Amino acid sequence: MIPVNWVVGLAAILFAIGAIGVMVRRNPLIMFMSAEMMWNAAALAFIAFARHWHDMSGQVMAFLIVGTAAAEVGIGLAIIVTVYHRRHRLDVDEISGMKN
Amino acid sequence: MSLFHGLLPEYIIVGFILISLLGNMLSRKYHVASWLSLIGMLSAFVASSHLWSFVLKPHMFLGGGAVIDNYSLFVNLLVLLAGLGTILLGWDERRWGTEFPVLVMLAVLGMMILGLAGNVITLFLGIEMLSLPLYILAASTHTASGGEAGLKYLLLGAFSSGILLFGLALLYGAMGSLAFVNFAKTVATPTSPLLWAGVVLSLVGILFKLGIVPFHMWVPDVYEGSPTAVTQFMAFGTKVGAAAILLRFMDFGFYATPGWWGPALGYLAVLTMIVGNLLALPQKDLKRLLAYSGIGHAGFLLIGVATHNLQGARALLFYLLPYGLAVLGAFAVLSLVAGDRDQVSVSDLTGLAKKRPLMAAFFIVVMLSFAGIPLTGGFVGKFYLLQAALFANQPGLAIGLVLGTVLGLGAYLRPIQALLNNQDSDSTAPKPKWTLGGAVVVVVAVVGTIGLGVYPTPIVHMVNQSANFFWLH
Repeated sequence: MIPVNWVVGLAAILFAIGAIGVMVRRNPLIMFMSAEMMWNAAALAFIAFARHWHDMSGQVMAFLIVGTAAAEVGIGLAIIVTVYHRRHRLDVDEISGMKN
Repeated sequence: MSLFHGLLPEYIIVGFILISLLGNMLSRKYHVASWLSLIGMLSAFVASSHLWSFVLKPHMFLGGGAVIDNYSLFVNLLVLLAGLGTILLGWDERRWGTEFPVLVMLAVLGMMILGLAGNVITLFLGIEMLSLPLYILAASTHTASGGEAGLKYLLLGAFSSGILLFGLALLYGAMGSLAFVNFAKTVATPTSPLLWAGVVLSLVGILFKLGIVPFHMWVPDVYEGSPTAVTQFMAFGTKVGAAAILLRFMDFGFYATPGWWGPALGYLAVLTMIVGNLLALPQKDLKRLLAYSGIGHAGFLLIGVATHNLQGARALLFYLLPYGLAVLGAFAVLSLVAGDRDQVSVSDLTGLAKKRPLMAAFFIVVMLSFAGIPLTGGFVGKFYLLQAALFANQPGLAIGLVLGTVLGLGAYLRPIQALLNNQDSDSTAPKPKWTLGGAVVVVVAVVGTIGLGVYPTPIVHMVNQSANFFWLH
């Protein structure tokens, strides 16, 4: 049986990669994907802890995270595609028109 | 009281969401969904007030996941007010299509869920239920910024939800339970790094949604780029929802150890009040100005959490109402002045006092309420916050509040000065037109603002009943 610390460590690494990805990358698609990675890291941590505590509620939370993430991807990709249609650019710094 | 009875306002909203969708399907008429959502939110409003006297003792449902008490009902009343204002302000906006009222009702439902959240699952579902429709609304077609606001809101919203979720996962790992009430039972034992990281990350996630200063950079851009009625909804509704969940989360989950988080939130509150109001000073775009003032007001709200006493919780709940009414009034005038456009600058107001004296007078009243001038609701709210800070023996918070108020006054006087200025008014510019929806919202906002300033007793009484969850202590 894999110790819970390892799984949580993996989740923390995934979370860090996602957070750095959102902050460093400038393509909205990649940024969005990185944010989803942070969500999945949280879901993984919930499942690991649910096994650690022998408690089902953490697994329920993981299911809800996956479902909500799917809804968010549906909306998010639609918005990104709309912006791309209008601007023909996918770079948050170039898209940014509002100043000061 | 049964679960169905307790969740009646939420069920009414869900029902009317489905009925509005059906109405959109069956009828080509544009206003069917708007009328249905107005009726739905008004009946949920009535249902919430009807439940008021039944829940003087809190009722827990779904294993502690839903807590129905006067607190959740007060939040219901506030967010329904915000939703009604949004529907009325967006009444004649053809460009949204018929899905606009449905999305507004969905977001209102999310805010209502945040008010009654008792565990991590309801917290998360409420926040997402609130955010997802707002992403779509912020990205509505034909805004000047072309969906930029929606994109920014989406990316930062997903990012902050990720941080919040990971924090909640760590908290679950540290305590082995998802209910806030159980947090408090285990939290008194010696702390672990897991617990610390969890508290910090989940606080960052919630403060992101509230727009507290180190995490505020998305607020001005999103407010400026969204359609005016939606901006009003974000400024009022989202703030109510985020403040409600923050207060509930801290005062249910961590009331035993205020020493950990109270000072940190206090410093952030002072920083937010000063930075938000300071940045509002040089703004030319009115929506941006109101966005920075909204950041400053989030700082004022944070005082109520940071003091961690009964007065603080009451003052926060009270302050939400005058703030929200002022937001309703200010954005209603803004959308009337703007007409078909999305951008309104301070100079657009020039000479409004001559063209539309009544409209200008109403705008002055709500601006003075933002600034906290006596005889307006904003003054009473700030007075209660000051009192709470002093009762908690935190003079630093009180000083920050006064400083922020003075800076804010400077920011609010500029639009007032512009609208009283007759010299260089452009006489060719068309007079702003009154619309029925806008007029109703402005009148309600102004009457409420002055009423709260002159006779706040009934609302104070309601707020005192709402902040009764200190029964836990």
